[in-house]
Amino acid sequence: MTDKEYNDCVDNFADGVYRFIVKNIRHTEDAQDIVQSAFEKLWVNRVQVLPEKAKSYLYTVAYHQMIDHIRKSNKMPLAEESLIPHQPINQEQAELKQLLMRAVNQLNPTQKSLVLLKDYEGYSYQEIAEIMNLSDSQVKVYLHRARLILKNKLSAYAPTTS
Amino acid sequence: MQLNESTYETIFLLYIDNELSPKEKLEVEDFIAANPSYALEMDALKATVLSTENIPYTFKENLKKLEQEPSLELLDQEWNATYTTILKEEIQAIPGLSTSFKNALKKETASEGILIKPFGFNQNKFTYAAIAACLMVFIGYQQLTKTSVSNSQASNGLASNSNTLIVPNKSTASTASDATVVSNSSQPANNTEPVVTKNQSATIKLQASKYSIKRRSYNFHNTSTAIAETTRNNGNLNNQAIITKLPSSYNNPMAIDAVPTETNSIEVDTETTIDEKASRSYEVIDTEDPNRTIFIANFEIDGAAFRGITRRVSALLKRNKSEKEK
Repeated sequence: MTDKEYNDCVDNFADGVYRFIVKNIRHTEDAQDIVQSAFEKLWVNRVQVLPEKAKSYLYTVAYHQMIDHIRKSNKMPLAEESLIPHQPINQEQAELKQLLMRAVNQLNPTQKSLVLLKDYEGYSYQEIAEIMNLSDSQVKVYLHRARLILKNKLSAYAPTTS
Repeated sequence: MQLNESTYETIFLLYIDNELSPKEKLEVEDFIAANPSYALEMDALKATVLSTENIPYTFKENLKKLEQEPSLELLDQEWNATYTTILKEEIQAIPGLSTSFKNALKKETASEGILIKPFGFNQNKFTYAAIAACLMVFIGYQQLTKTSVSNSQASNGLASNSNTLIVPNKSTASTASDATVVSNSSQPANNTEPVVTKNQSATIKLQASKYSIKRRSYNFHNTSTAIAETTRNNGNLNNQAIITKLPSSYNNPMAIDAVPTETNSIEVDTETTIDEKASRSYEVIDTEDPNRTIFIANFEIDGAAFRGITRRVSALLKRNKSEKEK
């Protein structure tokens, strides 16, 4: 990977990696640190990393650093409303989104990462398995369990919101 | 794929995760259209999918690195690639240049190395030259040893007088047995008659009678005198060679010249009445005369030794051949 290809990776993947991390740990500064560490590692190992594998490499490094960060800090939820900027949406969508995010934040880190990687980044089961160092069947089972948990939580919130 | 009450949930999850093929997606949609009660279930699962949102990372510029200019090594590699691909074709297109010169310009060819062979060197030639040198050394050694032995034998046995050499002279085959005299220095000098004795004749039958006169002469010191001559008597085949006279200096063995001026005085085949064994005569040669030139040639090959040499040479050649094959 050349210097130019590395800078292209910064332009193309920095936002996605940051979103994935900040949605997981819900702390902007820590997420920024993790993203910076991930790109620094990519820069150090740029000779061995192929350009077409750079995105997967960044998510893998960021995910493992995030897991290490969670284990060290052991502080998960913060007030997500004050930390994550929101786009202007209508009231109903905003409420539904808040309910969903609240349900997602109640998932365990693995299920949460599975959902984020699947929904935000659109990765396949196989790609998620490579990033999170799981098997394809594990990804499928864990993700299906997470979906059912979210569905139950949303159905539980729905009567109160409506 | 079978959609029923027990499998629909898994298939619906695969559907919202976009893990089904287009054909399977159609089957799911057809199933939902046929069973509207499952539409709510599908909507509930679709509600669990997070919608994409843009959260920008504001420190991208801090992550970027300055793009350095390519190093000289990279430039050299690029130049080599260009040189080997493009310039090679251009060189081949130049008219008037020899093919070897064009190949020398190619970088690929030059990097392969050049095999330098010494001019004119041939291993086979070298082997043959070595064999020839060995043979010459061996023959020369044999020659030297034979010469020294014959000299010692001549000096010790055949001639008691060290100043004389006995040289066989086959050209004097016309002499009679009683005319053959081995020089003996112990005898008085007057009795020494190297070729024929005085007043003796030898009868020679000549087959070729057309020769009118064959004359044999020797050069003596300060004189040239015929010592024997063959005469023809009006076509008679049986001629006689008669020693008519001998020079006065003939009694002196020191005055005899060893080399006759006419060695083929009687060229035709002769049927001599004398014994072949007795036809060998010797001449006494003075070796102290500085003006005398003596030609001695002797070449003899020992059969056993020569066989040994040939075996050694063949073994050496076989060994070299086997080493080459290895």
